[in-house]
Amino acid sequence: MEKSKNQPIFSVSDFIAVVNQTFEYAYPNIEVEGEVSSFKVNQGKFIFFDIKDSGGSVGCFMTVWQLRTPIEDGMKVIVSAVPKLTQWGKFSLTVKSVRPSGEGALKKSFELLKAKLEAEGLFALDRKRQLPTSPQHIAVISSTQAAGYADFIKIINDRWGGLKVDVAHVQVQGTGAPDQIIRAINYFNQQESLPEVIVVIRGGGSADDLAAFNDELLVRAIATSRIPTLVGVGHETDESLADLVADVRAATPSNAAQILVPDKNEIIRAVHVQVSSLLPRIMQLIDQQKQLIMERLYSVIEVIERAVDERVVQLSSLRSVLLQLNPNTVLARGYAIVKGIIKTGSMIEIETNKAILKAEVINVINK
Amino acid sequence: MSSTNKSIQEKTSELSKLVEWFDSEDFTLEAALDKFKQAEKLAVDIEHDLTSLKNEINIVKKKFDSDN
Repeated sequence: MEKSKNQPIFSVSDFIAVVNQTFEYAYPNIEVEGEVSSFKVNQGKFIFFDIKDSGGSVGCFMTVWQLRTPIEDGMKVIVSAVPKLTQWGKFSLTVKSVRPSGEGALKKSFELLKAKLEAEGLFALDRKRQLPTSPQHIAVISSTQAAGYADFIKIINDRWGGLKVDVAHVQVQGTGAPDQIIRAINYFNQQESLPEVIVVIRGGGSADDLAAFNDELLVRAIATSRIPTLVGVGHETDESLADLVADVRAATPSNAAQILVPDKNEIIRAVHVQVSSLLPRIMQLIDQQKQLIMERLYSVIEVIERAVDERVVQLSSLRSVLLQLNPNTVLARGYAIVKGIIKTGSMIEIETNKAILKAEVINVINK
Repeated sequence: MSSTNKSIQEKTSELSKLVEWFDSEDFTLEAALDKFKQAEKLAVDIEHDLTSLKNEINIVKKKFDSDN
């Protein structure tokens, strides 16, 4: 560097270097809010766009790997960046991260990423794995100071016991949250003794608070977790991409606890109902046996009665035959019994129904 | 856990088998009372196990705010 009347004379390269050092010192990290325009991706690696408002426009540069949420022209965003003068003398912002700003931009970004991931099949039902019905070891990723976490633990303790719960305390909102949650997911996936489920929970909040759960890398980390995932973020009406990609989605942290473990009180009740239903079953079977015995008894009695009736009928018919054979019956019909030797001149006795006659045989004519 | 080393799941499945026996063709009135007593004891054991077990909650010591 030369000097001219106490003024330094820089080479162009030195001047650019000094300007950049000054920027780095004065603005190590700045956040600028504005509307995206002229968004383009070069060679699938480099992103260029302008960020503008009614009074001006600044060029921005970043790599595709740094873009965690889709943006497009017209979206309002906040860029976190370092100002830089390029070697061609162009001023630009070297962007470290971009996040949508305002409800409209958040919604737009959500829809863009949702469509992209949906097209990749990340939300497909056939990717969903079942959670174990009664897990013994689970991992929870949440902020231990959050109300949602307290609700989850309370309900887990009310409903079930004997569970080993490993908790990763992470930020659940703000720019650092997605990376912390991703690190926690990776941490649990690298354990020697794998938890059976990873539960990611966070209570309700504004769309901006919940935006961390729409981060592309976080969504992909949940999708590739080898441990099945259960995500319960926000309230019932909130929908995040982390919810959609999880194996099971819970409406709230409390609901996540209800999905995860059975209710011991219900089991105790069901077990007692099962046992108490056995006694009436025994009584019912005793009654059935009694009825069966009675039915058999009645059928034996019926057989005996039928046999007796048959004998009575038989006896009655024999009686009537006997009656017909009774000599008195024959006499009553007008016949007579003749006793004695049937020859002319002999005396015979003739018995009728009403009298006994003594008679002499006057003549015998053979038939 | 109660005196035996069986898990709650094992006990619940044992109870279910006993209950099924009452509806099976193997059912006899002579054996029913014994089986009923076994079922009653299992129900009491399961209740005891479920109410006495506590969860073990460990906060992981690792910090997740950086890659280290």
